Parts: sequence; C-alpha cells; structure tokens
Amino acid sequence: MVRSYRLLVISACMVFFCLALAGNASATVELYNKTIEMGDGYQINNYVIDVTDVFSDANTASFYVYNNNNKVKEFLLSTGDSFEFDFEGDAKVKVTLLSVGSGTLPVARVSIVISNYKISDIYMNDIVDGGHKYATYSGTPNLKITKTVDKSEIGVGDLVRVTVTVENIGDDRAVDVIFQDPQQAKFVLYDTFVTHTGQTTVNVGESKTLFVYQLKATESGTYPLLPTTASFSNTASLKFPQASSNSPVVTVGASESLVSAELEFTTTLDKYTVNRNDDIQGTIKIKNNGDTPATAVTVSILVPDGLDFKGGSGIETISGTPTIYLESFGVQQEKEISFTLKAADVGTYTISSKISYLFNNGVDTQLQQVSSDSVTNSIYVTKGKYDYLFEQPLYMYAAPLIIIGAIAGWIFYRHKQYKF
Amino acid sequence: MLNILIVGNGQCGNRILDAINREAFGKKSRFAKFYSQQKYKSNVQTIAINTAVNDLREMKFTKAKDRIHIPHLHGVGANRNVGKHVFDENKTHIMRQIEERGHFDVCFVMTSASGGTGSSFTPMLVKELKEKYDYPVYALVVLPFREEGTLYLQNAAFCLRDIRESGADGIILADNQYLKQMGGNVESAYNGINDMIARRILFLLDALDSEMMMVTDLGDFKTVMSGGAGLATIGFYEAESELPVRGAIQKALSPSGLLFSTDVYEEASRAMIIIRGDRERLSIDEISTEVEKLSSAVGHVFKGIIVRDGELPQVLAVLTLESASELESLYAIAVDAIKQERDKKDRVANVKEVDRAFSQIDGMDPSY
Repeated sequence: MVRSYRLLVISACMVFFCLALAGNASATVELYNKTIEMGDGYQINNYVIDVTDVFSDANTASFYVYNNNNKVKEFLLSTGDSFEFDFEGDAKVKVTLLSVGSGTLPVARVSIVISNYKISDIYMNDIVDGGHKYATYSGTPNLKITKTVDKSEIGVGDLVRVTVTVENIGDDRAVDVIFQDPQQAKFVLYDTFVTHTGQTTVNVGESKTLFVYQLKATESGTYPLLPTTASFSNTASLKFPQASSNSPVVTVGASESLVSAELEFTTTLDKYTVNRNDDIQGTIKIKNNGDTPATAVTVSILVPDGLDFKGGSGIETISGTPTIYLESFGVQQEKEISFTLKAADVGTYTISSKISYLFNNGVDTQLQQVSSDSVTNSIYVTKGKYDYLFEQPLYMYAAPLIIIGAIAGWIFYRHKQYKF
Repeated sequence: MLNILIVGNGQCGNRILDAINREAFGKKSRFAKFYSQQKYKSNVQTIAINTAVNDLREMKFTKAKDRIHIPHLHGVGANRNVGKHVFDENKTHIMRQIEERGHFDVCFVMTSASGGTGSSFTPMLVKELKEKYDYPVYALVVLPFREEGTLYLQNAAFCLRDIRESGADGIILADNQYLKQMGGNVESAYNGINDMIARRILFLLDALDSEMMMVTDLGDFKTVMSGGAGLATIGFYEAESELPVRGAIQKALSPSGLLFSTDVYEEASRAMIIIRGDRERLSIDEISTEVEKLSSAVGHVFKGIIVRDGELPQVLAVLTLESASELESLYAIAVDAIKQERDKKDRVANVKEVDRAFSQIDGMDPSY
C-alpha cells in the first residue's frame, strides 16, 4: 500500500510540475485526488487540511483547515459535496469529498483543487501523517546584523575595535547562514579576538557575536566601514535576500606618530663644458631631511655612452652600473660622494641617477619604499686640444715622419762623414 | 771645370784648410755642414795632414776621410829634422792618398813656416808632387809672429828656403806679424787670419773657374806667379757699403788688404786683379784707371771682372814680388835666432855646469 501510495504521490507531483510549467495564476488545478486516512492531513504551503473524522456509514467526513498551525476553518462534507476556503491572496482551495471507505483506519477520497494561484509559488504540497501537528511550517527569519566600533575618531596608526553581532528577529530559524566581513581599505587588521567561519544557524530570537577585531588606521580620512553581510535560508530551505549590517563611520585624523625619511639627493659637476679626454669631477650629496632613518639607500648612476666612469669613493660597479649602497642613513645625516668621469666622445650628455630607499613610517608593519630619478644639467663635451691631430689623414703624419727620418738620416750620415 | 787639390799640413795648414771648407758652405753656422753643401765651382779636393791627432780632431768642416793622421807620438815638437824623417817614413802612404783622389790642374799646399810638421812636410811634399805630377804646385806659407821664439823663426827661415828649393811654382806669403794689426786675443787673431786667407783662396778658386766679362784664368795665374822672385801675396777687399770700385781696388792693395807687408807699387813684379760685383757698381773707367796706375808701377796687370747681380764690389789682387824687405827683416831676425840656438847648444855642451854639480857626490852613497 505504501508503494502504491508513493506512486500516487509521484504521479501527483508530475501533474503538479506540468501544471507549474504551464503556470497560470488564474488556472484551476487539481492538486490531489486520492484517499487520505483519518487523522492525516494534506499540506499546501502553510495550510493543512486535516481529515479529522470519517463516517463511512454516513458517507461523511469532517475536515479542519489550519493556517500555520492555527485553525481557520472546519466543515463536514457528505460524499459528493465540496467546501471552498480562502488561500493566500485571492486564491481559493476547493475540497470535494468523493467517497469514504472503512478499514483499519477509515479513509476519505478527496479532490483538492486550487484556483487563482501561481502554481510555482507552491513550495509544499503533500500528505502530512498525523495531521497539522506534524506539518512543517515555513517562517521568515530576519537577521539583524550590527557592526559597532569602540571609537569613531582616531588618528593614523591608532586602533579601533570592531564588533559584529547578529540577532534573528524573524519568525523562523535562519539556517545555512554564511557571514562575510570584507577587508577594510585604509586599515590593516591588527588583531582578532572573535571570528566566525563556515555555515551556522541562528534561531529565532537568538543573538550572537560574530566578529571582534582591531583595525589599525593607515591613512587619514573619513571611512564608512564596509557592512558585514549574511546569506541564509529558512527552515523550509527557502533562501532569503542577503542581510547586511550597518556601516559605522570612522574618521582618521593625521597622527603625530607617522614618520618618514626624506632623502635629498643633489648631483653636481665641477664643470659642464669640457674638452674631450678631460675629467669631470662629480659630487652626489645626500641628506636625510626626514624624521626617521632610511635603509637600503641605493643610487645608480646611469652614465651615458660617450662618458666613461673612472671611479669614485664608495661607489661599486654592479653589472656595469656605478652604484652607491648605504645600509642605513640617519636623520639629518649628510654625506658627499665624489666620482670621476672622463669625457670620451664629443657630444651633449646628462647623467641620470635612479634613487631608492626604505623607511619605517611607524604605522605600517611593512617598510615604505621611495624611488625617484634625478638628472643633471647638460654636459657639453667639445673637441679636445689635440683632437685635430687624430682627424688628419695618415699622410699628414707619414710625410713629416718621412721628412724627419730623412733629416735625421742625413744628419747621421753627415756626422759620420765628419766624425774623426 | 778645374780640378784643384788643397793640402793643409800641420796645425796651421789644417786650420786654414778647415776655414776654407767652412767658408765653402757659405754659412757661418757650425751646423752648416748638416744642411748645406759646399759651393765649390771646381772639383776641389782637400787633404789635411798632421802628426798631431788632436789638431785633426779639432777640424769641423773637413770630412774624416780627408784627414790623414801620420802617427808619431803627438807631433814632431817643432823639430823639422824629426818631421822630415817622419815624412820620409810615411811618404808612400801620403802620396797614395793623393793619388787616389785623381788628377789635378793645380795644387795649393798650405802650412805654417814655423811649426814642426807643416814646415818639414811641405817642402818634401812639394818636391814629391813636382816629381810625380806636372801640375803647378803653389805653397801658401804663414810666417810666424816675431816674438814667438827662436825655434819658430829658425824653422820659418829654413822652411821658406826649402820650399823654394823644392820646386814650388810659387810661394804665397801670409804674415801673422803683419796681420795681428787686426787686434783681439790670440785665438780670435789666429781664427781671423785663417778666415782672411780662406776667403781669399775661395775667391781665387771661384774666379779661376768663372765666366768673366774680362777673362783671367789659371794660365794667367801661372804667369803672374811665375814672375818676380817666386814670392807672392794676396790683397783683398770686400765693400760693406756703397763704395766705388775704385776705392775697393785701392783698399785691396793697401796694407789692410794684403796678407804680407809690402809696397805693391815698389816691390810687386806682376799682378792679377779680379773684381766682382753688380754691373751697376763696376765702373770700367774707375777700374781702368786703377789698373793702369798699378801697371805703370809693376808692369803687367791681368784683370778679370765677374758680374754678380746685387753684390757689392769685391776685389782680389794676386801680386808677385821682386823683392820683399819685410822678408829680409825676418831673415835677419831668424839669423840671430839661429845663432842664439847654436850658442846655447854649444854652451851646454862645453861648460857642462850641471855635470859639475853632479860630480860633487861621486863615490858617495845615501845613508838612512
């Protein structure tokens, strides 16, 4: 009997789905046309039609209608009679007693038809053994998420404690709840006291603390904290729109505790117009005008083709690039580094320097990196004093050499002639 | 082109020869030999002969191959007898050196009459040359300062006689005593005398091989030199400013222009006057007047005129002498010198004063 019963249920479901696909709010659809044992009920969403008594001898049966476990109607039907009650909205449900039967438990064969309802909105449609007391009613959980901060005005580098709580103020339990608390820009997570991961359940009226953590402000400004959100379902596995918390505003003012290293680089040359093959003396002056030491100070001197780097104190050539590296550079420290260039070719040049250094700003856990470039004024390399000698054709040298050689030979010859 | 051989014997001869070679470069610089060529018109070969190697080394403008060293210590010490002996021993070598330089048209042998090597070699060399070759050989002999000493005066006297007897075609006299009127120190005086002689000889060589407006050639020179007593001297004047040629001729014949003290109008026998200069400056009338004046006194005068554009007048006069009073004076002094030397030698030989001093310790031994 149970098997045939299931078959009936499946058939009924298939009919239901067919009707649902053809979904028409105004259509009349028979939801059920089978027997119901006395004491059992038939649930349509939150409505349960209980078959309270079957009088086979009298070919009658009595029915109670419950809405969300509250009785709204009761009626007695004789075989062939019908009774109609209001359903959700303008919908109507019509119950017709088709026949009654006797047995261990008397049964009533009924036809249940619904009209003016969108079939796809029916999320529960089934026999309830034991009647309305054993029905599962679908509620609306309402999660109120509250995000609070211990202070709304702080300085850069100061800490703010954030507390996120949730309370289910709905009428159904929230299940499969997943909370999301996004990372906050301009703040770094300093410490975490309470956290929450994975799915959870929030019962009706339940209140719990989800997150407690400290944020450290890194930059001044006014920042609304991003809301904490929650996705959840009710006990009938109906998913609900995402719940979202409030966004407390935190104003971050400039803090005196923020420090920086400000290195000033100046590259000067002893002359900007030189003859070819002359030397140029250069000086790089570094000064820390900031209020914190710098580390890993690196200055790469980019010497253009046409100028040759001859050397300098404290300058190493790394991969062909003269480089100054200072492990640390104190506050108000000054340093001058000299180097020598040789003007190899005629032309106009500039010397570029790539500068980088690190410092701890006292706020961030990571070191701050500063990079910059600097370029000198133009260097004009003109022809050398004796360059014209190299521009002459070979015969210009050969001819005098031959003449000088001939003269020397002649003098030697004459000397030998007259040497006694 | 003439082939001319010039031989300088002894220190004096070497220096005159070197001065000639230097003048031939036409430059005064000591480095002229390195950048200039000698401007001989003729084929001139020069040979310096000396027993003193240092004298040869001092020569700067004569090629090494033309310097012949006759090894004998460091000279003959003004001893003409030794010099003659040395020449005899090296005669073959000397003559072979001359032979190797080819045939010549004329030869000049220059020497001091007072020294050792020059005064002894020259007569014997002249004699050898005359015996072996047919070209004329003229000796240019420099007479010593009179105060130079008895040996030099003695040598000069005998040297001159020997040269004359050697067969020389003529003796051109230059007198240091006469030329020291130039003044200056000894070195500059010697150098000045050498330069004077060198310029005259070069002028003469140039004239003998030049095309002239009026010709004098080697033949004329031979004729002149064959006149008189076989003695000659040379007068020369080079105008340093605009001077009429007449004045230049008179200057050349005056004591300041002559190498030997003589009164040309009284003692000359024949003369040859060569005048060189720009055409505009060579007045034929003036030249004729002066030449006629000279010829009226000495007889025949050969004259030659060389035209050189832009040059100031230069006059060379070669004069042979019938007599030479100055030479007689020299010989008079030389005779005294010879006597002094002989007396001293005799005195030393006879008196033996030194031997007497030594004889005082005969038979004695030193005690220590």
